[in-house]
Amino acid sequence: MGTLRLESLSLRYPGRDAAAVHDVDLEIADGEFVALVGPSGCGKSTTLRLIAGFLRPDAGRILVDGVVLSDRNRVVPPERRNMGMVFQSFAVWPHMTVFGNVAFGLAQRRLPASEVRARVRAMLEMVDIAGLEHVYPGQLSGGQLQRVALARSLVVEPRTLLLDEPLSSLDAKLRERMCGELKALQRRTGVTFVHVTHDQAEALAVADRVAVMHAGRIEQFATPREVYLRPASRVVADTMGAVNLIAARVVSAGGTSADVRVLGDPGLILRVTASAALATGSEALVAVRPEDVAITSVGPGVEGLVAEATFRGTFAEHIVTVGTERVRAHTLGHDLVEAGRAVKVSIDGARCILLPPL
Amino acid sequence: MAAAVALLLVLVGAPLAMLAAQSVFIDGRLSLEAYAEVIGRSLYYQALLNTLIVGGGSAALAVLFGTPLAWAVARTDLPLRGVVRTVTTAAFVAPPFLLAVAWVILAAPNTGALNRLVTTIFGTERGPFNAYTLTTLTVVTALHTFPTVFLLAAAALESSDSSLEHAARLLGAGRWRTTLRITLPLVLPSILTGAILAFVTAIALFGSQAILGIPGRVYTLSTRVYQVLGYPPDYGVASALSMALVLLTVAALALQRRALGRRDVATIGGRGLASERIALGRWRAPALALCAGFLFVAVVLPYAALGAVSLTRAWTAGLVGANITLDNYAAILFRLELTQRAIGNSLLLATLTASATIALGVVIATIDLRTALRGRRLLDYLALMPLGLPGIVVGVAILELWLRLPINIYGTLLILLLAYTTRFIPLAVRAANVAIGQVDRSLEDAARIGGAGRWATQRRVTLPLVRSALLAGWVLVFVPTLGELSASVLLFTPDTITLAVAIFNFQDNGKVELVSALGVVLLVLASAVVLGARRIAGRPVLEMASAPPPA
Repeated sequence: MGTLRLESLSLRYPGRDAAAVHDVDLEIADGEFVALVGPSGCGKSTTLRLIAGFLRPDAGRILVDGVVLSDRNRVVPPERRNMGMVFQSFAVWPHMTVFGNVAFGLAQRRLPASEVRARVRAMLEMVDIAGLEHVYPGQLSGGQLQRVALARSLVVEPRTLLLDEPLSSLDAKLRERMCGELKALQRRTGVTFVHVTHDQAEALAVADRVAVMHAGRIEQFATPREVYLRPASRVVADTMGAVNLIAARVVSAGGTSADVRVLGDPGLILRVTASAALATGSEALVAVRPEDVAITSVGPGVEGLVAEATFRGTFAEHIVTVGTERVRAHTLGHDLVEAGRAVKVSIDGARCILLPPL
Repeated sequence: MAAAVALLLVLVGAPLAMLAAQSVFIDGRLSLEAYAEVIGRSLYYQALLNTLIVGGGSAALAVLFGTPLAWAVARTDLPLRGVVRTVTTAAFVAPPFLLAVAWVILAAPNTGALNRLVTTIFGTERGPFNAYTLTTLTVVTALHTFPTVFLLAAAALESSDSSLEHAARLLGAGRWRTTLRITLPLVLPSILTGAILAFVTAIALFGSQAILGIPGRVYTLSTRVYQVLGYPPDYGVASALSMALVLLTVAALALQRRALGRRDVATIGGRGLASERIALGRWRAPALALCAGFLFVAVVLPYAALGAVSLTRAWTAGLVGANITLDNYAAILFRLELTQRAIGNSLLLATLTASATIALGVVIATIDLRTALRGRRLLDYLALMPLGLPGIVVGVAILELWLRLPINIYGTLLILLLAYTTRFIPLAVRAANVAIGQVDRSLEDAARIGGAGRWATQRRVTLPLVRSALLAGWVLVFVPTLGELSASVLLFTPDTITLAVAIFNFQDNGKVELVSALGVVLLVLASAVVLGARRIAGRPVLEMASAPPPA
């Protein structure tokens, strides 16, 4: 076990202009559950394959407990890294039974047969598929294949488990359940998990910390609450869920907070925290989640018109036009406001993030 | 990687370079004399014309035979569709020159079985058939190549997305109109591909052209190549003629590429509903009769004739009473040392060639699919190049190369092994590419990260998964190698004689009964390997390939 460190890691695929991974720094603590999240092509899977040793970096290093596993000259091959990996396709070998699949890594490590049997059995129990030892993968469901893949990687007691979109080939209900099980499994084994996903909700649900990637770079690496509620950039705010980006003008600035005017004039004045000093009169963007935009029929706020309303079950989604701006606002499903109705729009400044202008 | 490139350069690059060099160097100086001679002499011009007629005519006939048959099998409720398909595919096992031999038995002037049948029934002086004409050669060639068109067209018809047809039906087009306006245009690229492959195969069929053409003085490029390499050999003209054959082949394949570039064949590979079959209604019986009649003439009759003749003392006396004997088999299997040697050599060479090409194919496919090494495209390209080389051209090229080199392998089995490996490496590379390509890469990655090194991963994961596909590839190389004639005929010596060459020489000497018996032995051996592989692989191996083995 140990700390996994990526230092200034870069990789460019031959024939491509942009680097797939660019100057990535990441330090993952022992026993931590980290999610790499971002749109497809952002470099998250490449990062994972670099960690696994399938790719050689053009620059930078990968270290575990200070020991270099990869740099531009030398890559410890995957089979000698003591890591496990779960693939999107599960990659359960179709020509071996469940037992054969799970025992593979142990046999490769030349453990005595009796110990192999005992450990495989214990592992299958842990992932809840005891009794399927002699079944071939062709007869298993997606969820069972997933468990075989997990058992196969965990049985060798790796220091790190790499998961490449492990839930994306499962149906929605199973995906939700496996999310919980993954987290429990990680707690129980204490193995460091590095989980790649394009699904921000999944990343928020499973991880201790989330690394948001975009265009080969890490935009923010922080706890789920932080990347969602205090995104460091527009890209992070955008990646981690629906967000309103509303044009704002600074009306007064001082110290750690600023007053900004949004949604026309007079519009709304919001008091938001500001990370850097902003000149009065300068332009900025306010990022606010749809659930932090309130729409009411009476009460304070600026006049708006509900242009679209969509019932989504637990919540209702509205597009509200305020002057030339279109603002997205969520209410509880019960509180849906029909399209065409006039509403008052209000925003809590404390829930907003101030970002540089477009 | 470097080793694979070097090997391919020796196998493919060097012989080709030698061939090109021989065609332009006369006595050590640069000269176009050989080409001038080829272009200037009417007998070579006539050979080119005949080659084009045989190639073009047989390709057209192959489409005419293969397409309706494919449509009937793939899209109608024709009875016994499975049998029709099996019989058509089974014809692949037979080397094409055996078909030519069979048609000599059936249609030789005066003595041919069909001619005798006609003269007996009608009491005429002579029968109407003549095996030794350009027309017969063209038709018999088509009977060998039509399965190519059939298989490609049937595959396309079966995989075409039926929603495309449903859309036409909903817009008011009837069944027949939909078939003509939607279905056929969709599979046209596949038919065209089939036609061009049939053309390329046809112009390279040295055996048929020699057996049916030479007695009637109908010469083609490949038979002229064979002729000028008789005593005294003229390597310059042989090379120039070979280059002409290569150019024809390359031009045809380029044409196919261009034609396909404009049409997307892949669009028909949709995963729509299973295509619906057209009910033939009262046409079912006539349609079946037509298909059965055709297959009888194309497949059953010739091989039945071959089988029958192999059991006679004097083939012209027919399969009756005292004329029936097993002595031909006794002779070739137990008495004649030459045929025993030929059978042994062919089995050995086919086994070695199939094993060597598949091993090389696996290496090339792995480099191509699993590495990012620079130059891997070149490797692929080199390996597929022999597809454009008729067998006799490979023979000429290998002969010229190794006669020049100080290492003397002429007259050994090794030179035949080299020639066969060159000829059939494309089949093996394609088979290996398909086999390895269907193994998801993460299956290998999972083994690596699970603690297995490169070799252990290959041994425990990749190879077990591709075993049956590779076996199919092995058979695809083994079968045509066993009956390889066109390169062997230039490279053999009495010690290294092969089955096909023995058949060819006996045919030349008019020993039709021995030829038939040897032909049957060849068919039995090839079928045994195909069926054995099918048992091991658990599925039909020949149908795993969409194109027939070249001649």
